[in-house]
Amino acid sequence: MNPLRDAWQSIVRRDPLSTDKGKSELVFLNVWLHIHPAKVKKENLKVKHTFYLGFVTFFLFLILVTTGVALMVYYRPQSPQAYQDMKDLQFVVYLGTFLRNMHRWSAHGMVICVFLHMCRVFYTGSYKRPRQFNWVIGVALFLLTLGLSFTGYLLPWDQLAYWAITVGTNIGSYAPLVGGRIRELLLGGHAVGESALLRFYVLHVAVLPALMTLLIMVHFWRVRKDGGLSRPVWKLKEEKSARLVAIGAPGTMAPLAAVPASRDKTYGLMEVVTGKPTFETVGMEEEEDTVFSYPYAFFREGIALLVTVATVMAVSLFWKAPLEELANPAKTPNPAKAPWYFLGLQELVSHSALLGGVIVPGLAVLALLAIPYVDLNPSRRPADRKWAIRAFTLFVVVNVVLIVLGTFFRGPGWAFVPPWVHIVGAG
Amino acid sequence: MARFLTPSVFYEPPQDFKIGDPGDFSYGPPAFLSDEKIFVFRDRERGFAVASAVCTHLGCTVAYFQSDERFHCPCHGSVFNADGSVEHGPAPRPLEWFEVTLARDGQLRVDKDHPVPASYRLMV
Repeated sequence: MNPLRDAWQSIVRRDPLSTDKGKSELVFLNVWLHIHPAKVKKENLKVKHTFYLGFVTFFLFLILVTTGVALMVYYRPQSPQAYQDMKDLQFVVYLGTFLRNMHRWSAHGMVICVFLHMCRVFYTGSYKRPRQFNWVIGVALFLLTLGLSFTGYLLPWDQLAYWAITVGTNIGSYAPLVGGRIRELLLGGHAVGESALLRFYVLHVAVLPALMTLLIMVHFWRVRKDGGLSRPVWKLKEEKSARLVAIGAPGTMAPLAAVPASRDKTYGLMEVVTGKPTFETVGMEEEEDTVFSYPYAFFREGIALLVTVATVMAVSLFWKAPLEELANPAKTPNPAKAPWYFLGLQELVSHSALLGGVIVPGLAVLALLAIPYVDLNPSRRPADRKWAIRAFTLFVVVNVVLIVLGTFFRGPGWAFVPPWVHIVGAG
Repeated sequence: MARFLTPSVFYEPPQDFKIGDPGDFSYGPPAFLSDEKIFVFRDRERGFAVASAVCTHLGCTVAYFQSDERFHCPCHGSVFNADGSVEHGPAPRPLEWFEVTLARDGQLRVDKDHPVPASYRLMV
C-alpha cells in the first residue's frame, strides 16, 4: 500500500473523480460542497438564466469578511483615533489603501448585486410556490446588506460618518412610539459621540455579519430544499405550470391535497419516504438534462469567483475609497450627501421625515415581503403576469429616479441644481 | 437587555452652561458657538436671546445668513426665519430657543433643558 495515497484517502474518503460514484461522493461527503446537489440541470447553469448574481453577491460578502477582518487589525472605534487609523491605512500601512478600497467597493458592489439578484428572481417568477419564504429571507438579506453598509461608512469618523449617524438616528426617532428609545439605544446617549461609534462598530463587525451569515445559510439551504434553482422561463411549456396533481406518498389511502404542480420542483426521495408532499416526480427526459456538479457547476462558480475578485481588485487599484475631513460636530458640510444608495431615501426625507423616512420605506419593505403571498398567479411565464411585471418595474424605476435625482440634481442646501450648472463659490 | 443597553451614566457635556460675560457679545449678527451649537443674539433694545442651531428636521447644524436674516439647513434645505419659525422646507417645528439668565458671577448662563418662547429676552 502507498501511505501517501492512504493519507489522501483518509481526507477525501471518496472514489476517484473519474467515476460517477466519485463525482457524487465529492459533493455528498464534503461539508463545504454538500449544499450542492450531486447533479444539476444543464439549463440552470446558463449565465442568461441567473447571471450568477446570487453567487457574485455571496462572493462579495466573502471578500468583505476577509478584508474587513484585516482592517480590524488597524482600527480603533474611538474618536478621534478612528479617523487617524484611516489616515494610517492610507499612508503608513502596507496595502492599507488597497484593502480599504476593496472593502468599500465590494460593499457598493454587494448593494448593486443583491438588488439585481432580487430583480432577476422577480422577473423569472422564482419567488412563487414553493419558494415564497425564501424570497422573504432574501428581502431580509437585502436589508441587512443596507444595514451593514450604513454602519460601515460611519466607522471612519469623517464628516460623512458623523452627519450620517446624526441624520440616520434622527430618522429612526420619527418612528411612532418607540422612535426616541431606538435613537437612545443606538447612540448610547443623547448626542452622537464615542458611545455611538462603539455601538455601530459592534453592530458592524459582530451582530450584523453574524445575522447575515445565519440567514445566508438558511437561504442556500432552502434553495436546495425548494428543489434547486427555478427552471429558466424559456423552458416553461404551456399549461404545465397550471396542471394539478395529487400529492402524497404513493400507496397511501388518499392523496393529501391537490396543488398546482410546479415543473420547477425536482423530486426528493426523502419527501416520498416521509410522506410529505411531493410536487412532482421526475421524468426520464429530465434526468437526461442533468450533469454532474463536478466539474460543470463548480467550474462555473469558480469562474464567477475569479471574475468577482479580479473586478474588485481592478476597481480598487484605480479608484480610492472616499474619506472626508475629520468629524466636526460644529459644521455640517453643504451639501451633506449620503452614499449614492441612500440618496433616494435622502430625497424622500427632504420632503418629509416621517412620511419619507419611516412610512414610505416601511410600506415599501412590507410590499416587498408580501409579494409572494399576494401574487398567487401560479404561472411564471412573463406573458401571464403582465401586471406583476409592470408594478415591479415601476418600483425599480422609482428607486433609480430618486437615486439619480439625489445624486446629480441636488446641490448646496439640497436645492435643485442640474448637473450641467456650475455653481461658483458653493460650499 | 434593553436596560443593559441603556447607560446608567452619560459622559456628555452638561445641558446647563455659562457662555461668558455679556460684554463678550456684540450687537448685530448672532454669535455662533460651535461646541454648544447655539446662536447668541444681542439686540440693543431688547437684550439677549439664545437659539438652537440644531435643525428640527434631522439634526444638522443650521447656518445664519445675514444677507436674508434667515437660518438655512444644508442637509435637506429647511429655511427658518429670524424668530426660528419655519419659512419652508421639511422641518416640522420652529428652531428651539433656550432660557438665558445671568449667573451670580455676572456670566450669561444657558439652559438647554429649558426651552422658552421665541419672544423671550434677557435685558442686562
